[in-house]
Amino acid sequence: MESSGTSFNAAMRSVAPHQEFLLQGSILDAHCEVLLHRLRGLCDNADCNPEQFSDYEAVYQLKNNLSTQQSQYILFRIRQALDHADAPWHIRYLGQAEVGDKNRHTLVRACYDVACSSNVREFLNELGFKLDHEYVARGYFFHKGRMKVTVSKIYRLLQPGKTDQNTLEPMTQSHIVELSVVAPLGQDSIGDDMRNFAEQLKPLVLLEKFDHRRLP
Amino acid sequence: MAAGNVKVSVEALQEHRIQEVGLDGEEKYVQQLSMSENLTRLAHKIDFYKDETEGKGKPASEGEKEPAEEKQLAAFQPSLWPWDSVRNHLKASLTEMSVLLDVLNLVKEKQYLVADPVSQDPIETKPAIQLLAKKKSLSAASTVLTSGAERLKRSLADANKKNATDFHAELLRLRKQWRLKKVSTNIVGDLTYKSVGSRFWQGGSFEVRKSSEVDRVDAEGEGSKSMVEVTVPSELEGVAYIQVEVKTVPDMMDLTSCTLKMPPGLSSVPENAYWQSKLDAAQNVLFCKELFAQLAREAVQVKSATPHMVVSNQIITNVFPGHQLSIVLCHYTGKEKKSGEQQQVPVTAQKLEHNHVLEHSLHQLLHEVHHSNVSLNPPHPVNATLGMTKRRRLAGPECLTRQELVEMTENESLLSQIIKQTKHGVLRIRSMHVIDNMAINIQDPQITAHWGCLNSPLESSVRIFITSAGYESISTLSRTSLVLLIGVDTIRVVMKDGRTCLLSFEDKELQDLLAWQIAQHHTSVVQQIARYQGWQILSANSSIGSGDMEPFATASAITIASPKGDKIISFRSGPTSGQQLKVKTLDPTADSHPSPAVTDRSWFEHGGSFKEVNLEKLEGRNLASKIDMLMAHLSTT
Repeated sequence: MESSGTSFNAAMRSVAPHQEFLLQGSILDAHCEVLLHRLRGLCDNADCNPEQFSDYEAVYQLKNNLSTQQSQYILFRIRQALDHADAPWHIRYLGQAEVGDKNRHTLVRACYDVACSSNVREFLNELGFKLDHEYVARGYFFHKGRMKVTVSKIYRLLQPGKTDQNTLEPMTQSHIVELSVVAPLGQDSIGDDMRNFAEQLKPLVLLEKFDHRRLP
Repeated sequence: MAAGNVKVSVEALQEHRIQEVGLDGEEKYVQQLSMSENLTRLAHKIDFYKDETEGKGKPASEGEKEPAEEKQLAAFQPSLWPWDSVRNHLKASLTEMSVLLDVLNLVKEKQYLVADPVSQDPIETKPAIQLLAKKKSLSAASTVLTSGAERLKRSLADANKKNATDFHAELLRLRKQWRLKKVSTNIVGDLTYKSVGSRFWQGGSFEVRKSSEVDRVDAEGEGSKSMVEVTVPSELEGVAYIQVEVKTVPDMMDLTSCTLKMPPGLSSVPENAYWQSKLDAAQNVLFCKELFAQLAREAVQVKSATPHMVVSNQIITNVFPGHQLSIVLCHYTGKEKKSGEQQQVPVTAQKLEHNHVLEHSLHQLLHEVHHSNVSLNPPHPVNATLGMTKRRRLAGPECLTRQELVEMTENESLLSQIIKQTKHGVLRIRSMHVIDNMAINIQDPQITAHWGCLNSPLESSVRIFITSAGYESISTLSRTSLVLLIGVDTIRVVMKDGRTCLLSFEDKELQDLLAWQIAQHHTSVVQQIARYQGWQILSANSSIGSGDMEPFATASAITIASPKGDKIISFRSGPTSGQQLKVKTLDPTADSHPSPAVTDRSWFEHGGSFKEVNLEKLEGRNLASKIDMLMAHLSTT
């Protein structure tokens, strides 16, 4: 599919190569403790308490006027750590995932994540982006080598813009588990390592690649 | 009439049924059945179902006939009406049901048929045989039980004897301390620090096996022999440690002439030692090897101001001129051949100078390196890149310059860190010696040093007070104080009035500084006494330009006048020139040139000359008290 989007992607890839390998799964709240215990044993830093995080994410979209573009919208994700006020905001672009390749065990997509100043929301508004949806993710963070595992619960904001604990409502009765690695282009053996790690968590949570376009 | 030859013909009655009579009178008969057809017709009348239930004992020939007849019957059937088979089935079931009913009724009524259980023969009770049978079975059971009890007793006795040294129990204890893995039939363990972040190339895997009977029998009676035997790799056998030493080589300042030491005889781990001590020793060997390898690599690769020398298992470097730091990896495996030719090492071990503080620091530094390899700063928010420090993450939004980024990536090597610590240690000890020597040798004034109790491996501080005995409590002004901040290479001095200066590592500089401060102190004490005595200070100068020039620093001087105004004392104190006191008595007669122009009286009172006072002959414990007495005497006479 020759389009300006993909050529832009190709150009970016040669400058700052970043690919995200992703596996996702979910586990019910009742069994989350067992999973956390397991992850604590499998991952690095087993002697420390698992790191908790609380992030607010807003997704901005811009309508794409080019008819040959793969998708209708360009999505930018803004993320802020709620529990660390001095951490910078991050802006993230995720490309389309390449699915259909049976040899790849994980979802592979382009991913660009940069830290930015705190006025990024006004900036995007000025550019013409509109807020699509926002949510708060809270959970635990583990890492093994360069693999990141997050077990998080997604909360809906009852009042737009307010992220206090009492204005949040959990969206599901389960936690979402994500295993991801961000690596430069060409290192495809990461997928095997991720699959081996996912095997260790097998009966508790099934980590697999989902095609996001096929979700209802 | 019975006549013979009467032919009697017998013929079958023609019992054919007339089907129809033709128009011409011809009679048409029903088609006569052939023999086989007749037979089938008759067979059709037979109820085959009844035959089947009763006909188990029937001869085979009849059974064979049946399928043939059935086949023919089957061929026959399509000509009959379609419900025939249904009717047959129903008829059969009806017959069966009625038979069953009859049988049940018969049995119930007990009139025609009685069902009685079969009477069995009474059991013959032969007690002898019974007894024998019981005995046999009991003996079999008892043998089973006794064999089981024997086994249990034996295992219990074994356990009591060996103090619970079951192989599996030991293995469990081993597993609690070390990482074990089963590879095919062997149990292999991991000695390395890889799981906590070490990147050393040398592998350390040990093998665990059950100790054989022979070993156990040969064991000495020191402790109970364990059932678990570990075999460590050959390159990690023995005992090793890193020895750090700082020595002064006053005349030999170059590295090439330093003496190389052979590692002395150590006690190695005995062969039948407990597995924990063996594994600990092997792990220690691995750690020391990694540490030394890292230091040696840095010594060779990193370009620094002073050259380092690496010789087999020693690293030698100059920290200060005249001070050498030597790091030695001592590894004793217990298998060294005692060759008589070049063995220079005496039988008794040399007394080693261990700098335990630095050795501990080295161990700590390597542990730090391991730790930083594994524990990454968790990213907040979690989508950010793993492994960056917080400052680096803020580099983008806060627009750090390239210079700052480059500075952030610079890492200090292990060797340079330990050299810094050594330098600081040496500098601190030397400064301590200088101050202590001066305090011992100089009685007046008194020097006291208060060392800060909180210090880092790279920085210490000390506060020095110079006071005169008997005059400390007058006011804080009579106490001279200065703060020394001892760093890696330099000493920073902060004086009472806020001036700072930087000294190098030479101890002579510190000595000179302290001597100068002492000289300053004398002057300030005199000033203080003058104030309390009521003498007027005519001039006070902390660095005068007159008189002989001091080799270092400056001399200070003060001139005071008595309350009555007739006596003037001039005091000069310098670090090398010492203290000089001169007194002048004003003589109004000398140098008086009366003239009408000059009328003020004070102009006539400058006569007299200064006379030096011998301070040693004055009475008083120290200089301050001497001058105090003098001033008191002069002001009264």
